[in-house]
Amino acid sequence: MRELPSTPKIALGRMLRRAPAAAVLPVTVSADAAVTVTPGLGIEAQDGLEDWLLAAAGTAVTVTVPERYAGTTPVEVVGPADGSALVRVVVGPHAKVTIRDTWKTTGEGLGLGVWLEVAEGATVSWLTYDSLAATAVVAQHKATLGAGASLNWTVAGFSKASGASLITTDLIGDGAQATVNVGVLASGVQHLGYTTRMTNYARKSVGHINQRGVITGAAHLIFNGIGHIVQGAQGADNQQENRVLMLASQARGDANPILLIDENDVTAGHAASVTRVYQAQLYYLMSRGLSRALASRLVIRGFLEAGLAEITDRRLKQELFDTIDETLVTTDA
Amino acid sequence: MSTLEIKNLHVKVKDEPEHPEILRGVNLTVRTGEIHALMGPNGNGKSTMAETIMGNPRYQVTEGDILIDGQSILDLSVDARARAGLFLGMQYPAEIAGVTNAEFIRAAINARRPQDDQIPIMQFLKQLDQTMTTLEMPEDMADRYLNQGFSGGEKKRNEILQLMMIKPHFALLDEIDSGLDIDALRIVAKGVNAQRGPEFGGLIITHYQRLLDYIVPDFVHVMKDGEIIETGGAELAKSLEKTGYSHLKAGEADA
Repeated sequence: MRELPSTPKIALGRMLRRAPAAAVLPVTVSADAAVTVTPGLGIEAQDGLEDWLLAAAGTAVTVTVPERYAGTTPVEVVGPADGSALVRVVVGPHAKVTIRDTWKTTGEGLGLGVWLEVAEGATVSWLTYDSLAATAVVAQHKATLGAGASLNWTVAGFSKASGASLITTDLIGDGAQATVNVGVLASGVQHLGYTTRMTNYARKSVGHINQRGVITGAAHLIFNGIGHIVQGAQGADNQQENRVLMLASQARGDANPILLIDENDVTAGHAASVTRVYQAQLYYLMSRGLSRALASRLVIRGFLEAGLAEITDRRLKQELFDTIDETLVTTDA
Repeated sequence: MSTLEIKNLHVKVKDEPEHPEILRGVNLTVRTGEIHALMGPNGNGKSTMAETIMGNPRYQVTEGDILIDGQSILDLSVDARARAGLFLGMQYPAEIAGVTNAEFIRAAINARRPQDDQIPIMQFLKQLDQTMTTLEMPEDMADRYLNQGFSGGEKKRNEILQLMMIKPHFALLDEIDSGLDIDALRIVAKGVNAQRGPEFGGLIITHYQRLLDYIVPDFVHVMKDGEIIETGGAELAKSLEKTGYSHLKAGEADA
């Protein structure tokens, strides 16, 4: 096997040892007529993980958003109901687009990937919603940004699946800007590892990571945040925040901020914390008559909100809040 | 009429059992229809008393009792105490994102009502709107996240908004005047005064006579070294403003 991406504390190699579940159903894409969908990827896999994902997906699709696209209809990518999948999204120069990919897939040993390329001057608002019902998943979401491109990305991790999730952003062009917000709810006996990587290859590029995770039951959640400023990326900015809230005595959480700085003229920073439920907030809400169960739900909602604040779709937000409530009710019982 | 009784109350910080008691036998009775002011130097147990009455898990009652209408509330959880009629306006209200102010206040009102008789949304919004107008709060504060990014003054005003919407029998207001400019102080006082009546009793913790010019108390108590050492009418607060606390008899700890 070719080299794998580094995912501290997450045994990626072991996860990939099993043969990937083959693709059985296609990905659905809905968008304006100007947006084209073609079979195949048209690019090579970069490493061992991508080899594995390609093998898993078998077939894959490419979604192309044309240059200077300015349509208001979001590009909606919905993963198959069952089986692995791979999607490449190419956003042309100076296009402005909202992308949403939703995964409610079932299956075992799934591989899925979304590869986004944002050309120079383009602006992308991206929402990734993982609500996978599969048993073991390796998911790779990656974005590369050209000069002056900007990406505002939210990842809502509300899966029932265990596995690894790699969220990778490469700032290739000068002045590229990306913010990645991640909100994860881990419950039951889930083992989840998130490696969120932000690499500044270009001058004056700005990359921010903000990860929030809530863990209930006997779940284990690992947050790796890897900020990397490559030599030559003068004036780059790389910041990250990783926060984990544990609700049960058997819940386990890791927040690992990693900063790799190979250039002098840059700004970079990180913050990380792993905490038990906020007693002061619970007390405040209960002092107004709210039951402990309701107060807990609101506190958790508030904690995750910091990772999900950019989601403006009210229906989706309600769905997420409902998932939080259901998860906690199950945990309380 | 309802009565809140504090009887021979002794309190420690739960995590510091080796430390001496903070409250050392407090006796106080507040009836609805009355406003009591609790004054005294910093670090002498005033906030501890309010927090203990509300049931803050940080504090442990080692002796004595707290009763509402003759029933001990010591075994009640914080939320049950709230539903029994208590309200604590806090010195440092928590900030909670993801929950709007309006949503939270409605949940607090509904927590007091049976499942099949929740407050109708239009009635709630009308009431909220009126109360916010009284407190001169901008409309968007209803839709902002609970205390998130509120200034010190906005937080205090928001505590009074909750008080007026929830309409408790007993309000404990812990330094509701701290950090307020004179206009904000007047507005907060207007809100508290609007609650006054036969169904409302208040215990106002403050360092300053200034607040009591706006909310005139029926009784003033002075707490020192975990005990109430002096009780009088509104005029006691005025004389304390001139003389300070130092001439009052020292508690045993100073002896």
